[in-house]
Amino acid sequence: MSAAPAKSESSADALVRVSGLRTRIGSKTIFDGLDLGVPRGSITAIMGPSGTGKTTLLRHLSGQLRPDAGSVVVDGEEVTNLSRAGLFALRERIGYLFQNSALLTDFSVFENVAFPLRQHTNLPETLIRNIVLTKLQAVGLRGAARLMPSELSGGMARRVALARAIVFDPMLILYDEPFVGLDPIALNQVLRLIRTLNKTLGITSILVAHELAAIRQVADRVYLIANGKLVAQGAPDELEHQDSPWTRQFFGGEADGPVPFHYPAPDYASELGFGRGAR
Amino acid sequence: MNANVRRNWFLQGIVSVGDCGLFFVAVLGALPKSLRYWRETCRQVWFVGAMSLVIVMTCGLFVGMVLALQLYYTLSIFGGTAALGTVVALSLFRELGPVITALLVAGRAGTAVTAEIGLMRATDQLDAMSMMAVDPLAYVASPRFLAGVVAMPLLACVFNAMGIFGGHLVGVTWLGLDNGTFWGNMTATVDLRKDILEGLYKSIVFGGVVSLIAVFQGYTAPPTSEGVAYSTTRTVVFSSIVILAFDFVMTTFMT
Repeated sequence: MSAAPAKSESSADALVRVSGLRTRIGSKTIFDGLDLGVPRGSITAIMGPSGTGKTTLLRHLSGQLRPDAGSVVVDGEEVTNLSRAGLFALRERIGYLFQNSALLTDFSVFENVAFPLRQHTNLPETLIRNIVLTKLQAVGLRGAARLMPSELSGGMARRVALARAIVFDPMLILYDEPFVGLDPIALNQVLRLIRTLNKTLGITSILVAHELAAIRQVADRVYLIANGKLVAQGAPDELEHQDSPWTRQFFGGEADGPVPFHYPAPDYASELGFGRGAR
Repeated sequence: MNANVRRNWFLQGIVSVGDCGLFFVAVLGALPKSLRYWRETCRQVWFVGAMSLVIVMTCGLFVGMVLALQLYYTLSIFGGTAALGTVVALSLFRELGPVITALLVAGRAGTAVTAEIGLMRATDQLDAMSMMAVDPLAYVASPRFLAGVVAMPLLACVFNAMGIFGGHLVGVTWLGLDNGTFWGNMTATVDLRKDILEGLYKSIVFGGVVSLIAVFQGYTAPPTSEGVAYSTTRTVVFSSIVILAFDFVMTTFMT
Protein backbone atom coordinates (compact mmCIF):
# COMPACT_ATOMS: atom_id res chain seq x y z
CA MET A 1 0.00 0.00 0.00
CA SER A 2 1.29 3.47 -0.83
CA ALA A 3 0.77 6.69 1.02
CA ALA A 4 -0.93 9.60 -0.67
CA PRO A 5 0.12 11.64 -2.49
CA ALA A 6 1.48 8.65 -4.26
CA LYS A 7 4.00 8.12 -6.95
CA SER A 8 3.51 5.02 -9.03
CA GLU A 9 6.07 2.27 -9.14
CA SER A 10 8.33 2.76 -12.14
CA SER A 11 9.10 -0.80 -13.10
CA ALA A 12 11.34 -1.44 -16.06
CA ASP A 13 8.69 -3.59 -17.77
CA ALA A 14 6.01 -0.90 -17.64
CA LEU A 15 4.07 -0.83 -20.91
CA VAL A 16 2.71 2.63 -20.13
CA ARG A 17 4.61 5.34 -18.28
CA VAL A 18 3.20 8.78 -17.59
CA SER A 19 5.44 11.39 -16.00
CA GLY A 20 4.88 14.99 -15.05
CA LEU A 21 1.64 15.18 -17.04
CA ARG A 22 0.10 18.66 -17.06
CA THR A 23 -3.11 19.49 -18.90
CA ARG A 24 -5.42 22.47 -18.84
CA ILE A 25 -8.71 22.52 -20.69
CA GLY A 26 -10.06 26.05 -20.81
CA SER A 27 -9.53 27.53 -17.38
CA LYS A 28 -9.64 24.15 -15.61
CA THR A 29 -6.51 22.29 -14.59
CA ILE A 30 -7.07 18.60 -15.34
CA PHE A 31 -3.61 17.21 -14.54
CA ASP A 32 -0.98 18.93 -12.47
CA GLY A 33 2.09 16.71 -12.57
CA LEU A 34 0.57 13.24 -12.80
CA ASP A 35 2.93 10.25 -12.67
CA LEU A 36 1.96 6.61 -13.08
CA GLY A 37 3.11 3.38 -14.66
CA VAL A 38 1.21 0.35 -15.92
CA PRO A 39 3.06 -3.01 -15.95
CA ARG A 40 2.76 -5.29 -18.96
CA GLY A 41 0.08 -7.93 -18.73
CA SER A 42 -1.71 -6.26 -15.82
CA ILE A 43 -5.27 -5.02 -15.41
CA THR A 44 -5.10 -1.50 -14.02
CA ALA A 45 -8.10 0.55 -12.98
CA ILE A 46 -8.11 4.33 -13.03
CA MET A 47 -10.61 5.70 -10.56
CA GLY A 48 -11.53 9.07 -9.21
CA PRO A 49 -14.35 11.56 -8.78
CA SER A 50 -16.35 12.60 -11.84
CA GLY A 51 -14.66 15.24 -13.94
CA THR A 52 -11.22 14.43 -12.61
CA GLY A 53 -9.82 13.61 -16.06
CA LYS A 54 -9.90 9.80 -16.26
CA THR A 55 -11.18 9.74 -19.85
CA THR A 56 -8.80 12.60 -20.67
CA LEU A 57 -5.96 10.37 -19.45
CA LEU A 58 -7.05 7.63 -21.87
CA ARG A 59 -7.13 10.24 -24.64
CA HIS A 60 -3.55 11.19 -23.76
CA LEU A 61 -2.46 7.55 -23.79
CA SER A 62 -3.96 7.03 -27.24
CA GLY A 63 -2.66 10.32 -28.60
CA GLN A 64 -6.11 11.79 -29.21
CA LEU A 65 -5.19 14.72 -27.01
CA ARG A 66 -1.76 16.24 -26.46
CA PRO A 67 -0.87 17.40 -22.95
CA ASP A 68 0.50 20.85 -22.18
CA ALA A 69 3.60 19.28 -20.61
CA GLY A 70 4.94 15.94 -19.47
CA SER A 71 5.70 12.60 -21.01
CA VAL A 72 3.45 9.73 -22.10
CA VAL A 73 5.38 6.62 -23.13
CA VAL A 74 3.55 3.59 -24.53
CA ASP A 75 5.62 0.53 -25.42
CA GLY A 76 8.76 2.65 -25.47
CA GLU A 77 7.34 5.30 -27.79
CA GLU A 78 6.85 8.89 -26.67
CA VAL A 79 3.23 9.47 -27.71
CA THR A 80 3.45 13.26 -27.43
CA ASN A 81 6.20 13.41 -30.09
CA LEU A 82 4.74 10.94 -32.57
CA SER A 83 3.83 12.08 -36.07
CA ARG A 84 0.35 11.31 -37.40
CA ALA A 85 1.69 8.24 -39.22
CA GLY A 86 3.55 7.10 -36.10
CA LEU A 87 0.46 7.60 -34.00
CA PHE A 88 -1.65 5.55 -36.41
CA ALA A 89 1.00 2.79 -36.39
CA LEU A 90 0.88 2.75 -32.57
CA ARG A 91 -2.92 2.70 -32.56
CA GLU A 92 -2.90 -0.48 -34.62
CA ARG A 93 -1.47 -2.09 -31.46
CA ILE A 94 -3.99 -0.47 -29.10
CA GLY A 95 -7.64 -1.38 -28.68
CA TYR A 96 -10.03 1.27 -27.38
CA LEU A 97 -13.44 0.49 -25.99
CA PHE A 98 -15.59 3.61 -26.04
CA GLN A 99 -18.16 4.28 -23.36
CA ASN A 100 -20.99 4.21 -25.91
CA SER A 101 -19.38 1.42 -27.97
CA ALA A 102 -19.06 3.72 -31.03
CA LEU A 103 -20.06 1.02 -33.50
CA LEU A 104 -20.31 2.18 -37.12
CA THR A 105 -24.05 2.37 -37.56
CA ASP A 106 -24.05 1.74 -41.32
CA PHE A 107 -22.30 -1.60 -40.92
CA SER A 108 -23.48 -4.94 -39.56
CA VAL A 109 -21.87 -6.53 -36.53
CA PHE A 110 -19.68 -8.63 -38.82
CA GLU A 111 -18.57 -5.63 -40.88
CA ASN A 112 -17.85 -3.60 -37.75
CA VAL A 113 -15.44 -6.24 -36.50
CA ALA A 114 -13.98 -6.74 -39.98
CA PHE A 115 -13.51 -2.97 -40.51
CA PRO A 116 -9.93 -2.68 -39.12
CA LEU A 117 -8.86 -5.82 -41.01
CA ARG A 118 -10.25 -4.50 -44.29
CA GLN A 119 -8.56 -1.14 -43.81
CA HIS A 120 -5.10 -2.35 -42.83
CA THR A 121 -4.63 -5.73 -44.47
CA ASN A 122 -5.12 -7.40 -47.81
CA LEU A 123 -6.19 -10.69 -46.29
CA PRO A 124 -8.41 -12.95 -48.40
CA GLU A 125 -12.11 -12.80 -47.60
CA THR A 126 -12.17 -16.34 -46.18
CA LEU A 127 -9.43 -15.49 -43.67
CA ILE A 128 -11.15 -12.23 -42.67
CA ARG A 129 -14.35 -14.20 -42.15
CA ASN A 130 -12.58 -16.74 -39.96
CA ILE A 131 -10.85 -14.09 -37.84
CA VAL A 132 -14.06 -12.11 -37.36
CA LEU A 133 -16.07 -15.19 -36.43
CA THR A 134 -13.32 -16.25 -33.98
CA LYS A 135 -13.48 -12.86 -32.25
CA LEU A 136 -17.27 -12.86 -32.20
CA GLN A 137 -17.21 -16.37 -30.77
CA ALA A 138 -14.88 -15.12 -28.03
CA VAL A 139 -17.43 -12.51 -26.97
CA GLY A 140 -20.34 -14.92 -27.43
CA LEU A 141 -21.95 -13.10 -30.36
CA ARG A 142 -21.10 -15.23 -33.39
CA GLY A 143 -24.82 -15.73 -33.86
CA ALA A 144 -25.38 -11.97 -34.03
CA ALA A 145 -22.95 -11.40 -36.91
CA ARG A 146 -25.66 -10.30 -39.32
CA LEU A 147 -27.44 -7.94 -36.96
CA MET A 148 -27.16 -4.17 -37.28
CA PRO A 149 -25.96 -2.07 -34.32
CA SER A 150 -29.49 -0.67 -33.86
CA GLU A 151 -30.71 -4.21 -33.16
CA LEU A 152 -28.27 -4.78 -30.26
CA SER A 153 -28.75 -4.19 -26.56
CA GLY A 154 -26.23 -2.02 -24.70
CA GLY A 155 -24.38 -5.06 -23.36
CA MET A 156 -24.24 -6.73 -26.78
CA ALA A 157 -22.99 -3.52 -28.40
CA ARG A 158 -20.25 -3.30 -25.76
CA ARG A 159 -19.20 -6.90 -26.52
CA VAL A 160 -19.16 -6.27 -30.28
CA ALA A 161 -17.01 -3.20 -29.66
CA LEU A 162 -14.72 -5.40 -27.59
CA ALA A 163 -14.50 -7.95 -30.42
CA ARG A 164 -13.57 -5.11 -32.77
CA ALA A 165 -10.99 -3.80 -30.29
CA ILE A 166 -9.22 -7.19 -30.11
CA VAL A 167 -9.42 -8.08 -33.79
CA PHE A 168 -5.73 -7.16 -34.25
CA ASP A 169 -4.68 -8.89 -30.98
CA PRO A 170 -3.51 -5.60 -29.45
CA MET A 171 -0.88 -5.28 -26.74
CA LEU A 172 -3.02 -2.79 -24.80
CA ILE A 173 -6.75 -2.21 -24.43
CA LEU A 174 -8.13 1.02 -23.01
CA TYR A 175 -11.62 0.61 -21.57
CA ASP A 176 -13.59 3.82 -21.02
CA GLU A 177 -16.33 3.11 -18.47
CA PRO A 178 -16.99 -0.44 -19.74
CA PHE A 179 -19.61 -1.23 -17.08
CA VAL A 180 -21.85 1.83 -17.36
CA GLY A 181 -25.50 1.03 -18.06
CA LEU A 182 -25.07 -2.74 -18.04
CA ASP A 183 -27.44 -5.08 -16.23
CA PRO A 184 -25.78 -7.55 -13.81
CA ILE A 185 -25.70 -10.33 -16.41
CA ALA A 186 -24.08 -8.18 -19.09
CA LEU A 187 -21.71 -6.67 -16.52
CA ASN A 188 -20.50 -10.11 -15.48
CA GLN A 189 -20.08 -11.11 -19.11
CA VAL A 190 -17.91 -8.07 -19.80
CA LEU A 191 -15.94 -8.67 -16.58
CA ARG A 192 -15.31 -12.26 -17.57
CA LEU A 193 -14.20 -11.18 -21.04
CA ILE A 194 -11.73 -8.64 -19.68
CA ARG A 195 -10.23 -11.27 -17.37
CA THR A 196 -10.12 -13.95 -20.07
CA LEU A 197 -8.48 -11.66 -22.64
CA ASN A 198 -5.92 -10.61 -20.09
CA LYS A 199 -5.05 -14.17 -19.13
CA THR A 200 -5.21 -15.92 -22.49
CA LEU A 201 -3.73 -13.23 -24.75
CA GLY A 202 -1.58 -11.45 -22.17
CA ILE A 203 -3.18 -8.12 -23.08
CA THR A 204 -2.46 -5.19 -20.79
CA SER A 205 -5.71 -3.52 -19.80
CA ILE A 206 -6.42 -0.06 -18.44
CA LEU A 207 -9.96 0.52 -17.20
CA VAL A 208 -11.64 3.74 -16.29
CA ALA A 209 -14.56 2.83 -14.06
CA HIS A 210 -16.54 3.75 -10.96
CA GLU A 211 -17.99 0.35 -10.06
CA LEU A 212 -16.02 -0.70 -6.98
CA ALA A 213 -17.41 -4.23 -6.83
CA ALA A 214 -16.48 -4.89 -10.44
CA ILE A 215 -13.04 -3.34 -10.05
CA ARG A 216 -12.41 -5.49 -6.98
CA GLN A 217 -13.08 -8.60 -9.09
CA VAL A 218 -10.98 -7.73 -12.09
CA ALA A 219 -8.22 -5.21 -11.36
CA ASP A 220 -4.70 -6.02 -10.21
CA ARG A 221 -4.00 -2.43 -9.31
CA VAL A 222 -5.99 0.76 -8.79
CA TYR A 223 -4.83 4.33 -9.29
CA LEU A 224 -6.98 6.96 -7.59
CA ILE A 225 -6.74 10.35 -9.29
CA ALA A 226 -8.07 13.57 -7.80
CA ASN A 227 -7.21 17.25 -8.10
CA GLY A 228 -4.99 16.51 -11.10
CA LYS A 229 -2.67 14.19 -9.18
CA LEU A 230 -2.34 10.58 -8.16
CA VAL A 231 -3.61 10.53 -4.59
CA ALA A 232 -3.52 6.80 -3.88
CA GLN A 233 -2.57 3.53 -5.48
CA GLY A 234 -2.52 -0.15 -4.62
CA ALA A 235 -4.42 -3.40 -4.93
CA PRO A 236 -8.20 -2.84 -4.68
CA ASP A 237 -8.49 -4.51 -1.24
CA GLU A 238 -5.52 -2.58 0.14
CA LEU A 239 -6.82 0.72 -1.14
CA GLU A 240 -10.23 0.28 0.43
CA HIS A 241 -8.65 0.02 3.86
CA GLN A 242 -6.15 2.83 3.36
CA ASP A 243 -6.68 5.65 5.83
CA SER A 244 -6.54 8.83 3.80
CA PRO A 245 -9.28 11.41 3.32
CA TRP A 246 -9.47 10.61 -0.40
CA THR A 247 -9.79 6.84 -0.05
CA ARG A 248 -12.19 7.20 2.90
CA GLN A 249 -14.50 9.42 0.90
CA PHE A 250 -14.21 7.58 -2.40
CA PHE A 251 -14.39 3.99 -1.20
CA GLY A 252 -16.70 4.84 1.72
CA GLY A 253 -19.04 6.73 -0.57
CA GLU A 254 -19.12 9.76 1.74
CA ALA A 255 -21.08 12.68 0.29
CA ASP A 256 -18.68 15.33 1.57
CA GLY A 257 -14.94 15.37 2.04
CA PRO A 258 -11.94 16.38 -0.07
CA VAL A 259 -14.42 16.34 -2.96
CA PRO A 260 -16.97 18.87 -1.72
CA PHE A 261 -20.68 18.17 -2.05
CA HIS A 262 -21.34 21.78 -3.08
CA TYR A 263 -20.07 23.24 -6.30
CA PRO A 264 -18.21 26.50 -5.50
CA ALA A 265 -20.80 29.25 -5.03
CA PRO A 266 -21.19 32.64 -3.36
CA ASP A 267 -22.40 32.82 0.25
CA TYR A 268 -25.82 31.15 0.49
CA ALA A 269 -27.38 33.65 2.92
CA SER A 270 -26.22 36.61 0.83
CA GLU A 271 -27.59 35.06 -2.33
CA LEU A 272 -30.97 34.55 -0.65
CA GLY A 273 -30.92 38.17 0.47
CA PHE A 274 -30.38 37.49 4.20
CA GLY A 275 -26.75 38.58 4.32
CA ARG A 276 -25.33 41.74 5.78
CA GLY A 277 -26.36 44.77 3.72
CA ALA A 278 -29.04 42.83 1.86
CA ARG A 279 -32.39 44.58 1.49
CA MET B 1 -26.66 44.57 -29.69
CA ASN B 2 -23.66 46.45 -28.34
CA ALA B 3 -20.38 47.07 -30.15
CA ASN B 4 -18.50 44.31 -28.28
CA VAL B 5 -21.04 41.65 -29.20
CA ARG B 6 -21.01 42.83 -32.82
CA ARG B 7 -17.19 42.69 -32.87
CA ASN B 8 -17.20 39.19 -31.34
CA TRP B 9 -19.66 37.98 -33.97
CA PHE B 10 -17.50 39.48 -36.68
CA LEU B 11 -14.31 37.94 -35.28
CA GLN B 12 -16.07 34.61 -34.80
CA GLY B 13 -17.13 34.74 -38.45
CA ILE B 14 -13.56 35.43 -39.58
CA VAL B 15 -12.29 32.55 -37.42
CA SER B 16 -14.94 30.18 -38.86
CA VAL B 17 -14.01 31.12 -42.43
CA GLY B 18 -10.34 30.52 -41.56
CA ASP B 19 -11.17 27.15 -39.98
CA CYS B 20 -13.19 26.18 -43.04
CA GLY B 21 -10.23 27.15 -45.27
CA LEU B 22 -7.84 25.01 -43.22
CA PHE B 23 -10.36 22.16 -43.30
CA PHE B 24 -10.55 22.50 -47.09
CA VAL B 25 -6.77 22.16 -47.32
CA ALA B 26 -6.91 19.09 -45.02
CA VAL B 27 -9.66 17.51 -47.14
CA LEU B 28 -7.65 18.13 -50.32
CA GLY B 29 -4.61 16.63 -48.59
CA ALA B 30 -6.61 13.53 -47.71
CA LEU B 31 -7.98 13.12 -51.26
CA PRO B 32 -5.15 10.88 -52.57
CA LYS B 33 -5.57 8.58 -49.56
CA SER B 34 -9.34 8.59 -50.00
CA LEU B 35 -8.97 7.10 -53.50
CA ARG B 36 -8.35 3.83 -51.63
CA TYR B 37 -11.94 4.08 -50.48
CA TRP B 38 -13.37 4.31 -53.99
CA ARG B 39 -16.33 2.15 -52.99
CA GLU B 40 -17.25 4.71 -50.34
CA THR B 41 -16.86 7.52 -52.89
CA CYS B 42 -19.13 5.67 -55.35
CA ARG B 43 -21.68 5.14 -52.57
CA GLN B 44 -21.63 8.87 -51.84
CA VAL B 45 -21.96 9.80 -55.54
CA TRP B 46 -24.98 7.52 -55.60
CA PHE B 47 -26.38 9.17 -52.47
CA VAL B 48 -25.75 12.78 -53.53
CA GLY B 49 -26.43 12.24 -57.24
CA ALA B 50 -28.86 9.42 -57.94
CA MET B 51 -30.89 9.93 -54.79
CA SER B 52 -31.36 13.62 -55.67
CA LEU B 53 -32.64 12.84 -59.15
CA VAL B 54 -36.34 12.90 -58.28
CA ILE B 55 -36.30 16.36 -56.72
CA VAL B 56 -33.95 17.75 -59.38
CA MET B 57 -35.99 16.35 -62.28
CA THR B 58 -39.31 17.47 -60.83
CA CYS B 59 -38.09 20.96 -60.04
CA GLY B 60 -36.35 21.22 -63.42
CA LEU B 61 -39.57 20.34 -65.20
CA PHE B 62 -41.64 22.92 -63.32
CA VAL B 63 -38.99 25.65 -63.54
CA GLY B 64 -38.84 25.12 -67.33
CA MET B 65 -42.64 25.24 -67.59
CA VAL B 66 -42.98 28.41 -65.50
CA LEU B 67 -40.09 30.01 -67.36
CA ALA B 68 -41.72 29.30 -70.72
CA LEU B 69 -45.07 30.61 -69.52
CA GLN B 70 -43.64 33.86 -68.14
CA LEU B 71 -41.30 34.45 -71.07
CA TYR B 72 -43.99 33.70 -73.64
CA TYR B 73 -46.13 36.42 -72.08
CA THR B 74 -43.23 38.89 -71.95
CA LEU B 75 -41.95 38.07 -75.46
CA SER B 76 -45.43 38.29 -76.94
CA ILE B 77 -45.56 41.96 -75.90
CA PHE B 78 -42.66 42.60 -78.27
CA GLY B 79 -43.73 40.03 -80.86
CA GLY B 80 -40.72 37.89 -80.16
CA THR B 81 -42.23 34.57 -79.11
CA ALA B 82 -40.04 32.80 -81.68
CA ALA B 83 -37.10 33.37 -79.34
CA LEU B 84 -38.78 31.41 -76.54
CA GLY B 85 -36.61 28.29 -76.92
CA THR B 86 -33.44 30.36 -76.98
CA VAL B 87 -34.29 32.39 -73.91
CA VAL B 88 -35.43 29.35 -71.92
CA ALA B 89 -32.25 27.46 -72.80
CA LEU B 90 -29.92 30.39 -72.07
CA SER B 91 -31.62 31.09 -68.74
CA LEU B 92 -31.29 27.47 -67.74
CA PHE B 93 -27.76 26.79 -68.98
CA ARG B 94 -26.19 30.01 -67.74
CA GLU B 95 -28.01 30.68 -64.46
CA LEU B 96 -31.00 28.73 -63.28
CA GLY B 97 -29.65 25.25 -63.92
CA PRO B 98 -26.45 25.53 -61.87
CA VAL B 99 -27.93 27.78 -59.15
CA ILE B 100 -31.23 25.99 -58.49
CA THR B 101 -29.59 22.56 -58.68
CA ALA B 102 -27.01 23.68 -56.11
CA LEU B 103 -29.73 25.06 -53.82
CA LEU B 104 -31.71 21.82 -54.14
CA VAL B 105 -28.67 19.64 -53.47
CA ALA B 106 -27.74 21.79 -50.46
CA GLY B 107 -31.24 21.27 -49.08
CA ARG B 108 -31.48 17.55 -49.79
CA ALA B 109 -28.00 16.02 -49.73
CA GLY B 110 -26.05 18.77 -47.91
CA THR B 111 -28.22 18.63 -44.82
CA ALA B 112 -28.14 14.82 -44.81
CA VAL B 113 -24.34 14.81 -45.03
CA THR B 114 -24.06 17.33 -42.18
CA ALA B 115 -26.47 15.42 -39.96
CA GLU B 116 -24.78 12.10 -40.73
CA ILE B 117 -21.26 13.32 -39.95
CA GLY B 118 -22.50 15.32 -36.94
CA LEU B 119 -24.12 12.21 -35.49
CA MET B 120 -20.99 10.20 -36.23
CA ARG B 121 -19.08 12.81 -34.22
CA ALA B 122 -21.66 12.77 -31.40
CA THR B 123 -21.58 8.97 -31.14
CA ASP B 124 -17.75 8.81 -31.21
CA GLN B 125 -17.70 6.99 -34.54
CA LEU B 126 -15.12 9.41 -35.96
CA ASP B 127 -12.95 9.00 -32.87
CA ALA B 128 -13.38 5.22 -33.11
CA MET B 129 -12.14 5.31 -36.72
CA SER B 130 -9.20 7.41 -35.68
CA MET B 131 -8.45 4.91 -32.87
CA MET B 132 -8.53 2.11 -35.45
CA ALA B 133 -5.84 4.05 -37.33
CA VAL B 134 -8.28 4.99 -40.11
CA ASP B 135 -8.15 8.68 -41.02
CA PRO B 136 -11.74 10.03 -40.82
CA LEU B 137 -10.81 12.84 -43.20
CA ALA B 138 -9.86 10.30 -45.86
CA TYR B 139 -12.68 7.84 -45.14
CA VAL B 140 -15.56 10.20 -44.34
CA ALA B 141 -14.85 13.79 -45.41
CA SER B 142 -13.00 13.49 -48.72
CA PRO B 143 -15.34 10.95 -50.40
CA ARG B 144 -18.35 13.13 -49.58
CA PHE B 145 -16.58 16.24 -50.87
CA LEU B 146 -15.56 14.47 -54.06
CA ALA B 147 -19.09 13.12 -54.50
CA GLY B 148 -20.52 16.65 -54.44
CA VAL B 149 -18.03 17.88 -57.03
CA VAL B 150 -18.79 14.94 -59.34
CA ALA B 151 -22.57 14.79 -58.88
CA MET B 152 -23.43 18.49 -59.08
CA PRO B 153 -22.64 19.10 -62.79
CA LEU B 154 -24.38 15.85 -63.73
CA LEU B 155 -27.47 16.88 -61.80
CA ALA B 156 -27.36 20.35 -63.37
CA CYS B 157 -27.36 18.71 -66.82
CA VAL B 158 -30.42 16.67 -65.86
CA PHE B 159 -32.08 19.81 -64.47
CA ASN B 160 -31.39 21.69 -67.72
CA ALA B 161 -32.71 18.84 -69.85
CA MET B 162 -35.89 18.62 -67.82
CA GLY B 163 -36.25 22.42 -67.86
CA ILE B 164 -36.03 22.52 -71.65
CA PHE B 165 -38.49 19.65 -71.85
CA GLY B 166 -40.86 21.61 -69.59
CA GLY B 167 -40.37 24.74 -71.72
CA HIS B 168 -41.13 22.74 -74.85
CA LEU B 169 -44.19 21.24 -73.21
CA VAL B 170 -45.63 24.66 -72.45
CA GLY B 171 -44.35 26.62 -75.46
CA VAL B 172 -44.96 24.08 -78.23
CA THR B 173 -47.51 21.57 -76.95
CA TRP B 174 -49.68 23.96 -74.97
CA LEU B 175 -49.25 27.47 -76.41
CA GLY B 176 -48.82 26.29 -80.02
CA LEU B 177 -45.35 27.64 -80.85
CA ASP B 178 -43.81 26.02 -83.91
CA ASN B 179 -41.63 23.04 -82.98
CA GLY B 180 -38.97 23.80 -85.59
CA THR B 181 -38.74 27.44 -84.50
CA PHE B 182 -38.35 26.41 -80.86
CA TRP B 183 -35.46 24.00 -81.51
CA GLY B 184 -33.97 25.82 -84.47
CA ASN B 185 -33.51 29.17 -82.73
CA MET B 186 -32.22 27.43 -79.64
CA THR B 187 -29.56 25.36 -81.36
CA ALA B 188 -28.51 28.30 -83.51
CA THR B 189 -27.98 30.63 -80.56
CA VAL B 190 -26.75 28.53 -77.66
CA ASP B 191 -22.96 28.30 -77.69
CA LEU B 192 -21.29 25.18 -76.32
CA ARG B 193 -18.28 26.90 -74.79
CA LYS B 194 -19.78 30.18 -73.68
CA ASP B 195 -23.14 29.00 -72.44
CA ILE B 196 -23.08 25.29 -71.65
CA LEU B 197 -19.51 24.89 -70.41
CA GLU B 198 -19.62 28.06 -68.30
CA GLY B 199 -22.73 26.71 -66.63
CA LEU B 200 -20.93 23.45 -65.99
CA TYR B 201 -17.93 25.24 -64.48
CA LYS B 202 -20.32 27.00 -62.14
CA SER B 203 -21.86 23.66 -61.18
CA ILE B 204 -18.49 22.15 -60.36
CA VAL B 205 -17.63 25.12 -58.13
CA PHE B 206 -21.06 25.03 -56.47
CA GLY B 207 -20.66 21.28 -55.94
CA GLY B 208 -17.35 21.87 -54.17
CA VAL B 209 -18.73 24.73 -52.09
CA VAL B 210 -21.91 22.94 -51.00
CA SER B 211 -20.15 19.70 -50.09
CA LEU B 212 -17.32 21.54 -48.32
CA ILE B 213 -19.80 23.50 -46.19
CA ALA B 214 -21.87 20.36 -45.48
CA VAL B 215 -18.86 18.26 -44.49
CA PHE B 216 -17.26 21.07 -42.46
CA GLN B 217 -20.47 21.80 -40.56
CA GLY B 218 -20.92 18.11 -39.77
CA TYR B 219 -17.31 17.60 -38.79
CA THR B 220 -17.30 20.55 -36.41
CA ALA B 221 -20.85 20.10 -35.08
CA PRO B 222 -21.07 20.21 -31.29
CA PRO B 223 -21.80 16.62 -30.14
CA THR B 224 -25.34 17.36 -28.96
CA SER B 225 -28.76 17.06 -30.59
CA GLU B 226 -29.07 20.85 -30.61
CA GLY B 227 -25.55 21.20 -32.04
CA VAL B 228 -26.28 18.82 -34.93
CA ALA B 229 -29.61 20.53 -35.64
CA TYR B 230 -27.98 23.96 -35.65
CA SER B 231 -25.16 22.80 -37.92
CA THR B 232 -27.67 21.30 -40.35
CA THR B 233 -29.53 24.60 -40.51
CA ARG B 234 -26.26 26.46 -41.03
CA THR B 235 -25.41 24.19 -43.97
CA VAL B 236 -28.52 25.36 -45.84
CA VAL B 237 -28.15 29.01 -44.86
CA PHE B 238 -24.42 29.30 -45.60
CA SER B 239 -24.66 27.21 -48.79
CA SER B 240 -27.49 29.37 -50.15
CA ILE B 241 -25.65 32.60 -49.43
CA VAL B 242 -22.32 31.37 -50.78
CA ILE B 243 -23.90 29.87 -53.92
CA LEU B 244 -25.59 33.17 -54.82
CA ALA B 245 -22.49 35.21 -53.96
CA PHE B 246 -20.20 32.93 -55.99
CA ASP B 247 -22.72 33.01 -58.83
CA PHE B 248 -22.47 36.79 -58.97
CA VAL B 249 -18.67 36.74 -58.83
CA MET B 250 -18.33 34.01 -61.47
CA THR B 251 -20.89 35.62 -63.75
CA THR B 252 -18.99 38.90 -63.47
CA PHE B 253 -15.77 37.26 -64.62
CA MET B 254 -17.32 35.01 -67.25
CA THR B 255 -19.44 37.53 -69.15
